[in-house]
Amino acid sequence: MNIYVCIKQVPDTETKIKLNADSSGIDTTGIKWIMSPYDEFAVEEALRLKEKNAGSTVTVISAGPARVVETIRTALAMGADNGIHIEIAENADNNMAAKALAGALKKEAKVDIVFSGKEAIDDGSAQVSQLTAEYFGMPYVTVVLGIEYGATSVKCKREIEGGAFEMVETTLPALIAAQKGLNEPRYASLPNIMKAKKKEVKSLKSGDVDVSDADQKIRYKNLQLPPPKQAGKKITGDPAAQAKELVRLLHEEAKVV
Amino acid sequence: MAKVLVVAEHRDGRLKKSTFELIGASSAAGNETHAVLLGDGVADLAKELGTYGAGKVHVAQGPALKFYTAEAYSKVVSDLAKSLGSEIVLASHTPTGRDFMPRVAAKLGVGLASDCTQLAFEGSSIKVRRPIYSGKATAEVEFVGAGPRLATVRPNALGAPKADASKAAEVINITPDVGTLKTKVLEVVKGQSARPDVTEASIVISGGRSLKSAENFKLLEDLADTVGAAVGASRAAVDAGFRPHRDQVGQTGKVVSPSLYMAFGISGAIQHLAGMRTSKTIVAINTDAEAPIFQLADYGVVGDLFALVPLIKEEFKKIKEH
Amino acid sequence: MTWQTPLFLLVAGAAFGYSGYRFSILVRLMKAHQGKVSPFEEIGARIATAIANVLGQKAVLKKNPIGIAHTMIFWGFLVITIGTLEQFVSTLYEPANFEFIGQTAYMGLMFLQDIFTAFVLFGVGYACYRRFIIRPEGVGKSRDANIVLAFTASLMVAIFLMNGFHILGRDPFYQNAMPFSHAIAKMLGALNFSESTNLALGTFFKWVHMFIVLGFAVYIPSSKHLHIVAAGPNTFLRTLPREKAMKPINFEDESVTQYGAAKVTDLGWKDALDYYSCTECGRCQDLCPAHNTQKPLTPKMLIIDLKENLYRNKQAVLNQKYDEVTPIIDENVTEDVIWACTSCRACEIACPVFIGHTDKIYDIRRNLVMMESKFPAEVQTVFKNMETNASPWAFAASDRANWAQDLSIKTMAEAEADKTNLDVLLWVGCAGSYDDRNKKVLRAFASILKKAGLKFAILGNEEQCTGDPARRIGNEYLYQTLAKTNIETLNRYNVKKIVTACPHCFNTIKNEYKDFGGNYEVFHHSQFIARLISEGKIKPSKSFDETVTFHDSCYLGRWNNVYEEPRAVIASLPSTRMVEMKSNHDQSMCCGAGGGRMWMEEKIGKRINIARVEQALETKAGVVASSCPFCMTMLTDGVKSKDMQDKVRVLDIAELIDQSTSR
Repeated sequence: MNIYVCIKQVPDTETKIKLNADSSGIDTTGIKWIMSPYDEFAVEEALRLKEKNAGSTVTVISAGPARVVETIRTALAMGADNGIHIEIAENADNNMAAKALAGALKKEAKVDIVFSGKEAIDDGSAQVSQLTAEYFGMPYVTVVLGIEYGATSVKCKREIEGGAFEMVETTLPALIAAQKGLNEPRYASLPNIMKAKKKEVKSLKSGDVDVSDADQKIRYKNLQLPPPKQAGKKITGDPAAQAKELVRLLHEEAKVV
Repeated sequence: MAKVLVVAEHRDGRLKKSTFELIGASSAAGNETHAVLLGDGVADLAKELGTYGAGKVHVAQGPALKFYTAEAYSKVVSDLAKSLGSEIVLASHTPTGRDFMPRVAAKLGVGLASDCTQLAFEGSSIKVRRPIYSGKATAEVEFVGAGPRLATVRPNALGAPKADASKAAEVINITPDVGTLKTKVLEVVKGQSARPDVTEASIVISGGRSLKSAENFKLLEDLADTVGAAVGASRAAVDAGFRPHRDQVGQTGKVVSPSLYMAFGISGAIQHLAGMRTSKTIVAINTDAEAPIFQLADYGVVGDLFALVPLIKEEFKKIKEH
Repeated sequence: MTWQTPLFLLVAGAAFGYSGYRFSILVRLMKAHQGKVSPFEEIGARIATAIANVLGQKAVLKKNPIGIAHTMIFWGFLVITIGTLEQFVSTLYEPANFEFIGQTAYMGLMFLQDIFTAFVLFGVGYACYRRFIIRPEGVGKSRDANIVLAFTASLMVAIFLMNGFHILGRDPFYQNAMPFSHAIAKMLGALNFSESTNLALGTFFKWVHMFIVLGFAVYIPSSKHLHIVAAGPNTFLRTLPREKAMKPINFEDESVTQYGAAKVTDLGWKDALDYYSCTECGRCQDLCPAHNTQKPLTPKMLIIDLKENLYRNKQAVLNQKYDEVTPIIDENVTEDVIWACTSCRACEIACPVFIGHTDKIYDIRRNLVMMESKFPAEVQTVFKNMETNASPWAFAASDRANWAQDLSIKTMAEAEADKTNLDVLLWVGCAGSYDDRNKKVLRAFASILKKAGLKFAILGNEEQCTGDPARRIGNEYLYQTLAKTNIETLNRYNVKKIVTACPHCFNTIKNEYKDFGGNYEVFHHSQFIARLISEGKIKPSKSFDETVTFHDSCYLGRWNNVYEEPRAVIASLPSTRMVEMKSNHDQSMCCGAGGGRMWMEEKIGKRINIARVEQALETKAGVVASSCPFCMTMLTDGVKSKDMQDKVRVLDIAELIDQSTSR
């Protein structure tokens, strides 16, 4: 089987966000870059599928500036066979990324199945998986917690609200977007880390996949940081008064209840 | 005054509150508000959409639409938006809305602003703001190029709408052409427990060793049920056998990041903090004023949890009945 | 020439021939190991330790009366062997004997041999009493041991009978020099055999003795009695006390494809010598905190199981068919056994033949982690955190210096910019940076340094985790990545002197960073504070009217021999009384957090920290003093779980001193 995984490189979750000069994005100096956590489930699923089907290959694709090659190597270290990097601008939007990924997939000889994470933890729009599938011309199932593989179709357990889920069947090729809990991503073994350093990562330019500035459909501006966290409020009084004030604050101030 | 199309969502024969929210906001801003309702045997829901301010409700029914599929919904909605000449298309950022709207955007050749927490109507466009980097910042979304403006809106972001029984909508039946679907829903399985998993819940109520027994955790369960929260536990409580390991929050248990984390009788040692410190709002209730958790808490209550839990429960109930 | 010579040649030839063959197999098995063994340095120190511990039986005598019994048996064996050699010589050529050494000397020799024969019997007698009546847990049941005791006892009985009959038949014999044999002879005289019968019986029991010796020689290679050959060399080749660092792997060496030990042959030949030296005495097991809290790990069984794994795979190993060697992890050595270790090294301190149990476990972990990616699930978070945030906890690297926000402590970068001359670098560590409880300890220690008038700085955000948790869990690659980055930073600032309040940071920077180009003078804060007090720079003056018990941290005590300085620090507090826990100094019980276990769930048996806290509570001390952030966490948790937090406080020695000293 020719298995593909679309991954994204994002800032580590502990990163303190600082805005850039014109508030159109964040300041990337000193940021630690990692693979978006949901993509790890996708890579793991691809590897497990490969292990069940002898002769299969797993190719990892990522669109972004030059630094994303590092994250492609992380996937190679987990056990993926090939990597493809499509160079697109730092501030490219979801549409451009999706067109780039779909473009790279279309250049491949045969695509049997594509995995991705259900969303990237930096942008959090949860769009690129669906857009990529649409531009390639294949169906998709998102927020997947479990998969049963058939010869020409797959049955997916898709999470919906209230702890319920749908069993969705789709023909292949299809794009499956992973939810947390689909599997437990493996830790790269050292021999694989060493091998990954030498594996080849194919490099494509935006032009190679027919992506240009005209494909940008949205742009961010006027980024704002939330007001700094105030020191905790100590709520005093007798228990009844404390309970009342606490819930009032949670409802009106924090708006979490 | 824009031409707005809102995609209505329903589950188990009832329309979602978030749909009313979008229709209400659009209608209140004076827009020509259309709604599209997809399903099989859902015609009688159209009336309710009218009471929230929808002028026209387009009902697309058929066996192919009995269950939600991205393929069917995106085709129907994009075809309808094109034929109506909709300038703004809105859906809620729910498991359904967030799933099919990108496909609609691709079909219409425009961009989509997802999970917006602020939305204002400006002429034939919308001004939207959305959270990025897990909420550590927000950004305004600028739409590039011509075409309809698409957005999915976070439920509860626009505030509770008011129904007006005197309002009615024109109901238009449309025959959807969905073609051959490659995906199909085999069944919908209800969640096993009403209580969500600790890692996915938006509210987590957690207890420590001070609960003193497994039975006492029932107090927290009752509290959690009033707001649909999950119940977590500190390692000390799990070790003492009060709760199972799967409820353990901490470095060696589950790492959670809910909108609200309430810690009852938990001191806040580093191993526990490592599992919950990214929660948006943290409440600590402890008899020890020096407990480290108060350093992290947004709201701290020094007091006896056994006295406070029932009182907080009553206060939560009042909010929910509101 | 009598019939004795050819018979002896035949029998001895067969016995020694077979025994020699078996020994050669053992040597070949040893040499077939593929792991790297570091060169052995400091020959002088090695000779000294061999003399003290082999001849002097120093380590054996740590435990008594069995230590005394063994010493008697050991020395008896040395002395009696002279007699045995004489027997062989005289059997080969009748007139030959050792009398050429001179009459007085020979009488002295006879006397010594006689005394020691009795001593050996007393020793064996006590050993049997201990093994069969007292039955300590560490000793267990062993058919091998019973056979060896039987062999040894029968050898001595044969000697006495031989001597007795010789005295009766060969009058005069050296009976005046052999009090015990003389007494035996008197008893045997009651049998009233003829002189020729006595002589014949003397010769008979000489042959019995020699047969038993030859039988023993044949038996030894399959027995734990092999230690008589292996223990001496093993002592000479032991890890010297100052070398408690773990050995690095060279990842640049492309010829190395196996990291850590998957199979017993991935360990080194020295490890095999360890197995051969094991006497199965159980002292390691007695002190192991994992074993004492019902974990499946016991160091004794680990060594025995590894040896048996080697023997099971004998054919494959001898033929160097390494692919066919079965893995270490099997139904005897399970993964739980390997993960239960806290690296406290109590087993090594207890071992009378200087077996290194700990490094084998960590080599096995290295394979599990780096080659097979098999480790407790909760540890993956720790690895990811260390890779991304250079800390085992998921806190932002940029927050590292927050603990010192209002303390006006310079960072190295600031000190370099304004050219301040510093006395020492304060290495904060991850706990000091992020753990609220430990931040208080760092603040107290910083306060002490200021009171002493010292100029110090911290690395601030440039400090990364030393990598200790990664190394102990087995992720050597991650460890080296962090260590090398830290060393580069330290060397860039030309740091010479470092003080830290965490024994794990202390140990790895002091002993292990030198393998990667990091050579610094490193102090633990207990040593530093002790020196400040003795130099008069810090004067504890406020009375601290409490009874304090000190918990020895493994990485401070057993790993680095620092026992007295923390105690001196506590003793300097006015009005403070000190009391020791049941297990203290080098016998101290681990808190349970070492060996990376701080980051793992403890699911089997009793909690180690609870067991240790029970010892602390037994002392009735109002304060438990520690000098390590992990021990502090474990002890505090333990006190809380016993609901004693209102009666017993857990405090760091820095906190004790700071609150007792004024500006």
